[in-house]
Amino acid sequence: MHEKLEKEALWQFGGYGFLVAVTMVMMFPIYWVVVASTLPQSAIFAGGAGELPRLIPGSNFLANAEALAARPEVDFYRSMLNSLVIAVVYTGLALLFCSMGGFALAKYDFKYKRTLFMGILGTLLLPTNLLVIPLFLLVSNMGLSNSYWAVILPWAAYPLGIFFMKQAMQSIPDSLLEAARMDGASEFQLYYRVVLPSMKSSLAALAVILFLFQWNLFLWPLVVLREGKYTIPVAISKIMSNDMIAYDQLMVASAMAIVPMFVVFILLQRHFVNGILGGAVKE
Amino acid sequence: MSRQLLVPLLDQVRFKREQLKDRLPTLPGTPLLFLSPFFLLFGVFLAIPVFYTFYLSFFTFQGVSTEALFAIDIGAYQIMIPEMANLQYVGLDNYRRLLTDSVFYQSLLNTAIIFVVQVPLMVALALGLALVLNAAYTRYKGIFRSLLLLPVSANTVAYSAVFIVIAAEGGIADIALGAVGISPIDWLSDGFWARNLVAFMSVWRWTGYNMIIILAGLQTISPSLYEAAEIGGATKIQKFRHITLPQLKPIMLFVFVTTTIGVFKKFAEPMIVISSGGPINETRTIVYYIWQVAFQNLELGYGSALTVALVAIIMTLSLIQFKVS
Repeated sequence: MHEKLEKEALWQFGGYGFLVAVTMVMMFPIYWVVVASTLPQSAIFAGGAGELPRLIPGSNFLANAEALAARPEVDFYRSMLNSLVIAVVYTGLALLFCSMGGFALAKYDFKYKRTLFMGILGTLLLPTNLLVIPLFLLVSNMGLSNSYWAVILPWAAYPLGIFFMKQAMQSIPDSLLEAARMDGASEFQLYYRVVLPSMKSSLAALAVILFLFQWNLFLWPLVVLREGKYTIPVAISKIMSNDMIAYDQLMVASAMAIVPMFVVFILLQRHFVNGILGGAVKE
Repeated sequence: MSRQLLVPLLDQVRFKREQLKDRLPTLPGTPLLFLSPFFLLFGVFLAIPVFYTFYLSFFTFQGVSTEALFAIDIGAYQIMIPEMANLQYVGLDNYRRLLTDSVFYQSLLNTAIIFVVQVPLMVALALGLALVLNAAYTRYKGIFRSLLLLPVSANTVAYSAVFIVIAAEGGIADIALGAVGISPIDWLSDGFWARNLVAFMSVWRWTGYNMIIILAGLQTISPSLYEAAEIGGATKIQKFRHITLPQLKPIMLFVFVTTTIGVFKKFAEPMIVISSGGPINETRTIVYYIWQVAFQNLELGYGSALTVALVAIIMTLSLIQFKVS
């Protein structure tokens, strides 16, 4: 008995040790980007004569941020605004289209429903962000290149989103919709007065996923946007392709791309986890 | 979006079942009205490009076209739809070129090596963390879970930049390795290590995501299975091997399939490593190569052929994983 308890204590000790160690290693880059953004470049790296990088925050943040603003090749603060506008408009539009489509698939019967459904199913297996080559020609032809719409529209029909909404909406009782119809509600009123309000948590989950998806898009904006319209990832990549990388400024830019999202993410995490699991581990 | 695979498949089964019993309202026009914005965009920006990629792979791109594909003249109005591009038909030439393209093979090999380094490490970490977080003795589960999930929200390019600074000469990685008596590693100039850096970065970003999925899988395993095993005197390791692993199989399959697709789509990490001076030959992934061919050399036709090949590879690998399990 005594031996068994001892063994159990050993397992627990090992488990905790592993958990704490991995968490600390995982947290380090986040800690470091914040600290490094407040240091002059010379303190980010080890100097000669065994001088170590500083691991505690310094006071250079504002100076670094100003130097970042003065960069000639890229207007980083403009790119933050671009990213924010694009991600917000995108999330709103995609949420609207996916929820409308999901409603139709969940609560109506119509001809070719199955065919349409299979069509979306097919693209889920494709890595769709590889479609940049034809998209580039298409978007140039429409005269949309180097515009916000070029980044917003192509992914607004987010196949996973319509599935997610369809599944969530199947849980709405048909009797509830019938009752509203009896009261004289039009089909569109049904959608925004009855269905949408009862789908708040699913909509929030999808919103977090859509926002992050757009916020992280890199290849497509890199191909289609020019200076002035750059999003954050493109702007950072331009700072990095400079021959003399200013690491202190780079860390300010990275911290500004990462830290605000962390705050939002922690606040909305419950929805995000629901989103992951709603997409992955049902049944 | 292709990280999500299981649901649609399960959903399809449910959908068939449903069609047999449910009678949903059939209002002419209404559902199509609701679906039209989604399907308009879906058709234009997803369906057409899928077919157009395939089409383009048989041509060489000769610049943007100004010629009309089709024009209607109705008095005061003229409708002209321009051709997408000036193309020249080359048959299977792009595919022939691909078969003898050593850069293509090298980038495929790089992607495969990144996969081999990243996936076992990431899955082992995610599984280990999920097991500890699922254990009865663990306190503060919520906090650990949140912290470990945080990297998923990190902007891909920004976090890559942070890793470059950590791995650069004289950076924190050197100091940390030095502290445990390992000599500094040339992460950004040695091909072998630069490629591993790409894999390690990805491990950092995706471990928490997979941990959450595995954790949810662990929570669906019925406690009665473990109780029965305990009565039979099974040890922890026996329980893990004979109950946990077999029960987790579908979840692990999901993790492997989505990760495979994720690795073969990798672009941001190698792009950042290369643009900060990393060795291109060893870190160039297949998507990076497609980007180079299509948008630096403007060989859109050949880029499309490479894309078709990549999609075929990803589909084959996913199918093999489904078959194996």
